[in-house]
Amino acid sequence: MGHHREAALKLENVRKVYRSGDAETVAVDRASLEVGPAEIVALVGPSGSGKTTLLSISGGLLSPSQGRVVVAGDEISGYDPKRLTRFRRESVGFVFQSVNLVPFLTARENLLVVTDFSRRDKKKSKARADQLLTELRLEERADNLPRQLSGGERQRVAVGRAFMNQPDLVLIDEPTSALDTKLGEQVMELIVTEVRARGTAAVIVTHDMRMTHFADRTLAIVDGILGDAATS
Amino acid sequence: MKLALLELRRRPWRFAPAVIALVLLTGLLLTLGGLLDGLYNGFTGALRAQPGALLTYASDANLSVIRSRIDAATTAQVERVPGVEQVGGLGTVLLGAKIPGQATEASVALFGYQRAPGGVPAPPDKAGQVYADTSLKAYGVQEGQTLLLGPQRYPVSIVGWVSDTNFLLQGGLWGGLDTWRQVLGSARPDQVLASGTYQVLTVSTTAGADPAWVAGAIDAATGGRTQTVTRSFAVDSLPGITQQRSTFNAIIDTTFFVAALVVALFFVLLTIERVGIYAVFKAVGASSGQLFAQVVLQAVMIAVVSFMVGALLALTVGRLIPPQVPLQFSASRALQVAVGLVVMSTLGSAVSLRRVVRIDPATAIS
Amino acid sequence: MLASREIRRAPVRFGLLAGAIGLLMFLVFFQQTLLSSLLNSFTGALQNQSGTVLVYSSEARDNLEASVLSPDIVGKVASVPGVGQAAPLGAATMTVLAKGQQIDVAMIGAEPGKPGQPTKLTSGRPATAPGQGVASSETKSFAIGDTVTTAAGGSPVTIVGLTAQSQFNVQPTLFVTFDTFTSMRKAANPNAKMVWPSAVAVIPATGVRPKALADSIDAAVPQVTALTRTEAVAGAPGVSSTQGSFAVLLTLAVVVVALVTGFFFLILTVQKTAALTLLRAVGAPASYLVRGLLQQVVLVLGVALLVAVGLLVTATAAVNTGLPLTIDPRALAISTVVVVGLSLLGVAFAVWRVLRIDPFQAVGRPGLGGIE
Repeated sequence: MGHHREAALKLENVRKVYRSGDAETVAVDRASLEVGPAEIVALVGPSGSGKTTLLSISGGLLSPSQGRVVVAGDEISGYDPKRLTRFRRESVGFVFQSVNLVPFLTARENLLVVTDFSRRDKKKSKARADQLLTELRLEERADNLPRQLSGGERQRVAVGRAFMNQPDLVLIDEPTSALDTKLGEQVMELIVTEVRARGTAAVIVTHDMRMTHFADRTLAIVDGILGDAATS
Repeated sequence: MKLALLELRRRPWRFAPAVIALVLLTGLLLTLGGLLDGLYNGFTGALRAQPGALLTYASDANLSVIRSRIDAATTAQVERVPGVEQVGGLGTVLLGAKIPGQATEASVALFGYQRAPGGVPAPPDKAGQVYADTSLKAYGVQEGQTLLLGPQRYPVSIVGWVSDTNFLLQGGLWGGLDTWRQVLGSARPDQVLASGTYQVLTVSTTAGADPAWVAGAIDAATGGRTQTVTRSFAVDSLPGITQQRSTFNAIIDTTFFVAALVVALFFVLLTIERVGIYAVFKAVGASSGQLFAQVVLQAVMIAVVSFMVGALLALTVGRLIPPQVPLQFSASRALQVAVGLVVMSTLGSAVSLRRVVRIDPATAIS
Repeated sequence: MLASREIRRAPVRFGLLAGAIGLLMFLVFFQQTLLSSLLNSFTGALQNQSGTVLVYSSEARDNLEASVLSPDIVGKVASVPGVGQAAPLGAATMTVLAKGQQIDVAMIGAEPGKPGQPTKLTSGRPATAPGQGVASSETKSFAIGDTVTTAAGGSPVTIVGLTAQSQFNVQPTLFVTFDTFTSMRKAANPNAKMVWPSAVAVIPATGVRPKALADSIDAAVPQVTALTRTEAVAGAPGVSSTQGSFAVLLTLAVVVVALVTGFFFLILTVQKTAALTLLRAVGAPASYLVRGLLQQVVLVLGVALLVAVGLLVTATAAVNTGLPLTIDPRALAISTVVVVGLSLLGVAFAVWRVLRIDPFQAVGRPGLGGIE
């Protein structure tokens, strides 16, 4: 996808409410946020603060109860599930906290899963996967199954998968929670390198303050409310 | 890269429970089908081969060939009925045949015929010569041999082979009417028929004539002493035919249903295990339809592989079964089972559809 | 109870399993019922007649209907030492008119008071004079007092008695005197010069065992084959081939039941490994988990059994098999024990898996969820 001059992500008064019986839980309370087309934003907060919910809404995995969500010019807040599926396929990339690689697929095949579900050119997709594997220093491990890879290598495959569909926005959930400090730093460097190289925007959710210096801007979220922490 | 096929290839043991169950069920289905076909062919071969659209019986025989008697006068009446083109006499006797060099006797049905049935040459020139059904080869019968029939050991010699001409599960022997009368007189002196009397008549109708109408006309012309039916009606009236068909089909249909349930259960359990992966797939943009297509593809592949192995199993079982058990495998029955298995497998996998649709992609991230 | 709560929360899974097992059990039961009814329909009449030794012509291949003996051979058999009573037995299939309908019956003619008469009657009395007959009552085609004639005409026979489980060659049977048999055969085929008996029914003299007598008859009269009644029933045409075919079908069905039960409970157990490990870690003894599993197995098998028996009753009423299907409770009980026993054997593997769970695995598991 080309670069859009407009914001990669715009949240306007987004609110997410869960109802169970008579009780009401407000996961996100009137959050507003704007992420530039090549900006990296870190979202920091304790568990239960709503940061994962906010990430899900930004990526079209959840619809907000109220408010507008605009990703690279597409207003997705009103999309039905089918349209949201297409949106996710074409416009965003995810890196999940629990890696979530398919255990019976090789590293390369795990990358190709993303383009398998779209009507993209198979040869181009394969070339792209190989290129990503090289950039992530995984060429030697391209034909290995996840159980044959180290924790750090698996995380790198997951990062590569997020870029396979050339997204406008990459959403990353706790990338370093399962890794030690040194490995965590390596993965964050890799993520930032890839994001910068492609001019993509990224929102990284983390509770690890040591990693926030990788982002252009850090925001705090507590009990569903977004505030400003010091920018880096 | 097809996800479904890759999983089948890389994790085959995962699918073992369903495959093993379906292999055995295929074996069951093919064996059931083979028994049904074998029984049907072995009972009805001789009648199915008869020339002409109609068969005329004595009306008091309840469509039994063996108990039917049609005398020369009645035959003449039948020949004169308009719409009748050709009439031929047919007779049979069921008895045991002693085969040279064999300890067990074979059960045979000796036929005397005027008009050659399909696949059978004209009656042999000499009395005492017969064609033998190829199923008798399993009992050690060879061309050129002389078989001794009945308690008085009447000799007949085999001068050629015919196939699919058995009657009531007894091996068909086909000779001229003289041969038949002589054997009848030798083996069953209390059942002999006067010269010119046959058991049934095979009747061909003229072109353009309606067989049902001609049948009615024949029975009217003989004053109700005959019962004329179409050949297929006669075949279905042989003892046990319709009952075998309904019984076996009930068991076969139940077995197909079991296959569907086994596949359904298997994929329900598999889908439960895959909820995590499926949520991730949906998060990166896979639709429920695409995921479900993978499930259906796996169900079809499992059915196909199970069928092939099951067919080998059935063939092995068939080889071990003694010739007295009327088991006949045919390509059309095999195709029927294969298609049925694929359809049932697909239907079974459809039970997981709702579960796949309900998977929420948001769970991938939490 | 955790076990039943799990079933209640996942009705589809357990429903499918109970349904599949139930249908398979039904297949086993139905085929078993079919088999015993078929075998009885082939040879019930033979079993029910009084001759404990039956003598056929030797080329008849143990087939009563294919056997025919000349009267002098009957005489020779009767004079073999060890013979208590001997009498000619006629067997033939005939078309008769009963209640205005043409039906095929197996006609068995025996001399009154001599071997070959039916031994057990359900009502009425044996045929003592020409023109009287005893009918097997399964098909309800006959009632006491009915008059039966051959389709070819001839003197009528009045039903004076009824018996059960006495069919022959899957046809209703009519037991008449030998004279009636002869006259009905002549009426059906006027061309016949004479009517010969099909076999000789023999009761050994006191102190002589049937098998010994059969052997002596074989030795003394070369043109015949003598069989004890048990051998005649076992060797009748269709019996061994039917038994062989059904053996294959029943074996396959029973193996599938055991496999399906075993495999699927194993899968269910493996899927619960995380939860089970947790239970062990918080102190639940292994026996508690195994008991839970077995409770589920018993519940599922119980439901399956109900489904199977229900279908069996429906099927025996509804399917047109052409022969009276009687559910044999003893055979059913044996089949049930075999099927349930094998299923439990299949489940043993799942039990072993449960016992193998190591509570330490609860600690250090990277999270209960996720894929790796």
